Amino acid sequence: MDAKHDVLVIGAGCAGMRAAIEAHDAGADVALVSKIHPTRSHSGAAEGGINAALGNASEDSPEEHAFDTVKGSDYLGDQDAIEILCDEAPDDVYQLENWGAVFSRTEEGRIAQRPFGAAGEPRTAYAADITGHVLVHVLYEQVMKRNLTVYEEFFVWKLVEHDGRCQGVIAWNLLDGGLTTIGAKTVILATGGAGRLYTGTTNAYACTGDGMAQALQLGIALKDMEMMQFHPTTLAPTGVLITEGCRGEGAYLLNSEDDRFLKRYAPNAMELASRDVISRAEQTEIDEGRGVDGNVLLDLRHLGAEKILERLHGTRELSMVFAGVDPINEPIPVRPGAHYHMGGVDTDVWGRTTLEGLYAAGECACVSVHGANRLGGNALMETITYGKRAGAHAAEWALTNTTVEVPASAAADAERELNELLDRRDGERPWSIRNELAETMHENFGVFRREEQMQRQGELVDELRERYERVVVDDKGQVFNNDLTQALELGFLLDLASCMIVAGIERKESRGAHARPYDFPDRDDENYLRHTIVRWVEGAPKLEWKPVKLTKWQPMERKY
Amino acid sequence: MDVALKIWRYDPESGERVLRAYEVDAPEWACLLDVLDLIKDKHDGTLAYRKSCRMMICGSCGMRMDGRAVLACKERMKPLVDAGHVPVISAMGNMPVLKDLVVDMAPFWSKIRAVKPWLDPGYDEVAEKERIVSQQQMNAIHKESLCIMCGCCVSECNSMESDPEFLGPAALAKGFRFVGDVRDHADVARLNELNEEHGIWDCTRCYFCNERCPKGVDPRDAIAKLGAESIRQNVDHDMGAKHAKWFVKSAETTGWLRETELVPKTQGVVSAVKQVGFALNLAKHGKVPPPFPPHVAKDVKEARALRDLVRMQGREGAAGIVQGEHALAQIEHVLDADPDSAPASRIAPEKAGGKSGGD
Repeated sequence: MDAKHDVLVIGAGCAGMRAAIEAHDAGADVALVSKIHPTRSHSGAAEGGINAALGNASEDSPEEHAFDTVKGSDYLGDQDAIEILCDEAPDDVYQLENWGAVFSRTEEGRIAQRPFGAAGEPRTAYAADITGHVLVHVLYEQVMKRNLTVYEEFFVWKLVEHDGRCQGVIAWNLLDGGLTTIGAKTVILATGGAGRLYTGTTNAYACTGDGMAQALQLGIALKDMEMMQFHPTTLAPTGVLITEGCRGEGAYLLNSEDDRFLKRYAPNAMELASRDVISRAEQTEIDEGRGVDGNVLLDLRHLGAEKILERLHGTRELSMVFAGVDPINEPIPVRPGAHYHMGGVDTDVWGRTTLEGLYAAGECACVSVHGANRLGGNALMETITYGKRAGAHAAEWALTNTTVEVPASAAADAERELNELLDRRDGERPWSIRNELAETMHENFGVFRREEQMQRQGELVDELRERYERVVVDDKGQVFNNDLTQALELGFLLDLASCMIVAGIERKESRGAHARPYDFPDRDDENYLRHTIVRWVEGAPKLEWKPVKLTKWQPMERKY
Repeated sequence: MDVALKIWRYDPESGERVLRAYEVDAPEWACLLDVLDLIKDKHDGTLAYRKSCRMMICGSCGMRMDGRAVLACKERMKPLVDAGHVPVISAMGNMPVLKDLVVDMAPFWSKIRAVKPWLDPGYDEVAEKERIVSQQQMNAIHKESLCIMCGCCVSECNSMESDPEFLGPAALAKGFRFVGDVRDHADVARLNELNEEHGIWDCTRCYFCNERCPKGVDPRDAIAKLGAESIRQNVDHDMGAKHAKWFVKSAETTGWLRETELVPKTQGVVSAVKQVGFALNLAKHGKVPPPFPPHVAKDVKEARALRDLVRMQGREGAAGIVQGEHALAQIEHVLDADPDSAPASRIAPEKAGGKSGGD
């Protein structure tokens, strides 16, 4: 063991840093380990905002926030977890402001809030259109203030289970090479999502589901993995995110006939319906020939230059650089793109997984507050509130337990496995497998899902996995060998794809992001008001079910 | 399209440094980062560079193209291909190269840490709610808040090239992010530290950081704001501050710079005496105007009126440094494109205020 800590947090985005800060303040010796520098984390790419019932723009209450979230989740969210989120959200946002977050302000000097999709009130606190960036930096400032240990550019490859507990990790040191074993009384996964499973995705290259896949390999349950959110406004062809804040500020979605087509899909909420509803509407318009080169148009022009420059400056920049379009003068071509994994490592409301000592928070976890469809602005809030809760509980557990033991065999086994990969000279490089996986997931497991396409995708992923077994890494060096780590990431993605497909095939209904218009067009509460649970058993995903926790709200028809 | 480029490769294990040429078939929308990805996939998996978000927010992919620092994800390749240009890609400057395009960012981060980059509200307990701050007050640190810590400014910093200990544009912009924040109560202590050797007055004002920042942070403007704020708060022990103060004083009293007094006012009497020989030599060659009687500029009233205006508007200190050269340029871009949609009210005061470099 090269080092040990009370609490080791894997991933240093919003959830990870918030967890580390909380655990440190509770008195634990904390370290963060991340494959990229903390401020490079993809939380920083969140644009629109963070939801809390502050009541700064209208009368609001945590209960209203909770109801919107429950309804938005298509009733698959666990209501106890949602109530905790919405109750604790306001104080957690005030805490961020107290730390120095540069929020936009109301006339009265309070934190500004804007309308967001499927929210009954203007509840989304924001910092122009760089909210995630502002939060990542304020959290990193607090990490520096506390002088927390950060293992920067250490790629965590394996979790170590010993004696029925998670007791550390084995990581590849990107800068200097070599494997490092870091022991810990508790480990918190905060590794983010897996959007790299898709070609058109808003997600960074780093979003490869590492934590989910590593937990899966230890036999830990993943929940609702079929629930991948498609964001309605991403730029072709790469999927760069255009914030929902545009629609919050009043932008229109138009088809090729210059028609605000949402009046036929969500006549009341229009552009501010929930993301799953809008993505399906867009895809239908495109499929039925009313798209513009495979896109629809996001029109901001009527907002005026001043508002665009002040509140959507970053959006304008992205649109100009990546689409060559200035939204002050022209509408932005957009289409649905893979954005957020509602599913993840199954946890309770303290972030605990089924393995003692192992926690998860943020996008890699599934508490679940988002159910089958996440509301815009709830992801950042979840990272903060549930990051904090996981940090608090992990610290408490660590401070009442003393031992950390990592058997030497764990490191030796990892070393052997790694050398086997590095020593392989002949075979396929990983990139073609990676590209095929992402293209076919987009094609066969996208906005709309067909039984036969999902079946085919399952077979295809199995084939890709076989090819992956013989994959070759070009770079044999020690210094900054991300050729190696990118190959390992592909292994994570393949495992997760299998889990998503198994769960998707078995959920024989349409709910939230899981839309099966051709065979099961309706929600089926009688049979499927429950979570899918996938475990890795003998080299393959095994499906189980788990009931949804209902507190105050009985499922109703969902209309916007 | 066929994209050709050359990359300065560095292999730390052999110590070999070599310029290699590559050619790949890339889609028309490809940015530099996409082209590097294609090279790494299809030609050479050992090529090392950092990347993550590919949307100009994570700050990973800073590197040099044809000698200037850029974010690889922001640089479209098509215009270069159309022009038949073959760019040369290399690692950022002022930081040790670890491998190929990857630099050691540790010195960069230690300088960020050196400015105590966290809010010091002057008390420990959390306020019951948010602090009341106007949007206008928040705007004072808007540009500095945009910084993504990519290192492009540091890469290009001429002062850092000659003094590796210079805090540098990124850390100083971060410093202003707190000095300019009305919620921070440590501004005088911060200014004192930033006025030390290797601090704000060691900037040579080459403006390369403003020019090369991919996010419009304008670090040099932040340094100017720190200088102005230092003087407003009487943190003026550094020669740089004294130098700047004398410019103002001189302009206010006689309407132009009284150079003979500049040395004693900036460096002190002892230093001035030591340089008397040099001064006499200059005078002998007609390079020094006679100091007595002081020549008063014809329109000195105008200079004095400007000073009064600044005081009247409460624009002393950082508030006197006009923000937004980039913002102005962007608004002008809008004007060119569609005169009807231009927010005229925003343009007038900034135009009237003009630019200010800080001295």
